[in-house]
Amino acid sequence: MHEFSLAGEVIKLARHEAEKHKSMAVSEITIEVGNFSGVEAEAFESVLGLLSEGSILEKARLNILRLKGKGICAACNKEFEMDQRMDTCPECQSYPSEIKGGNEFRVVSLLIEEE
Amino acid sequence: MCETCGCDNHNHDHAHSHEKVINLNIDILSQNNITAGMNRRFFEGRKVLCMNMVSSPGSGKTTVLERTIGHFIPFRKLYVIEGDQQTLIDADRIEKAGASAIQINTGSGCHLDAQMVESALKKLDPQTDSILFIENVGNLICPAMFDLGEYKRVLVISVTEGEDKPLKYPNMFETSHLVIINKSDLLPHVDFRAEEFMKNARQVNHHLEFIELSAKTGEGMNAWYDWLLSQKNI
Repeated sequence: MHEFSLAGEVIKLARHEAEKHKSMAVSEITIEVGNFSGVEAEAFESVLGLLSEGSILEKARLNILRLKGKGICAACNKEFEMDQRMDTCPECQSYPSEIKGGNEFRVVSLLIEEE
Repeated sequence: MCETCGCDNHNHDHAHSHEKVINLNIDILSQNNITAGMNRRFFEGRKVLCMNMVSSPGSGKTTVLERTIGHFIPFRKLYVIEGDQQTLIDADRIEKAGASAIQINTGSGCHLDAQMVESALKKLDPQTDSILFIENVGNLICPAMFDLGEYKRVLVISVTEGEDKPLKYPNMFETSHLVIINKSDLLPHVDFRAEEFMKNARQVNHHLEFIELSAKTGEGMNAWYDWLLSQKNI
């Protein structure tokens, strides 16, 4: 839904950083999208691709890394990977008492073309 | 094969000599969060208690606010920042109730962001010791992601919504502090069990507080007023 404004933010960020390094083009951008960041990774990737035309990201490879969360089971203390925010423990089906990660939404790095 | 250096390993992470890696690790929402932080400092400096009211469309946020304004107006200045796609309808209701309102029409936008609140604050110029409500766009998904600089986030749900709402929309329940269960006057007509709803909500966020009330009849509103007054030394 608001993937457009988020993609816009990414393009602004990329342009700002590239200009700081006196570059005119980005050849690759790596973005982490946590599974429960609230950002729909596929939609975001398509929209970013669309909006990149005519921008500093026009020729950039989009490297979107989807990250899972890690939950600690409230009942048996087992650590388990989480695809969705309300995933339960694979051993005992309890909800986690603690969740680490899974809500990242950041630009990890840029590969810029130097003059 | 790489067109530039001729290597076959497309997983190499060294850059070609004419390319450079810039490590950033920048949160994409950082600009919003920076502005939200500035809003938060502004509220603290001016001693303005700011609540971000979130919900589905039709849960009764505006009616809750109308009654709240009616109660506090004799001894407190109140402001409301209204968010809707279109119309001035809610801002008009709020002004009739006695508070100052600013309407933000988001058009195709699905949430308010910190920058919109910052602009609205410049126009409202809230007084010291006042209460400011942000009535966010009716939407249980997108507003969850955007910190506006509020002191607390209040989620209004109605008994006509399902008990499993928290499990279906966890982001919003996770980022809220208080859940107002509104339209309690309709309980005889719906299958809503508050205990079951609260159990589900606590699974998502065990810090949540709950208040059941009816903005229509006024029942339970005192608990909400007391909660507001207890939030800060206001």
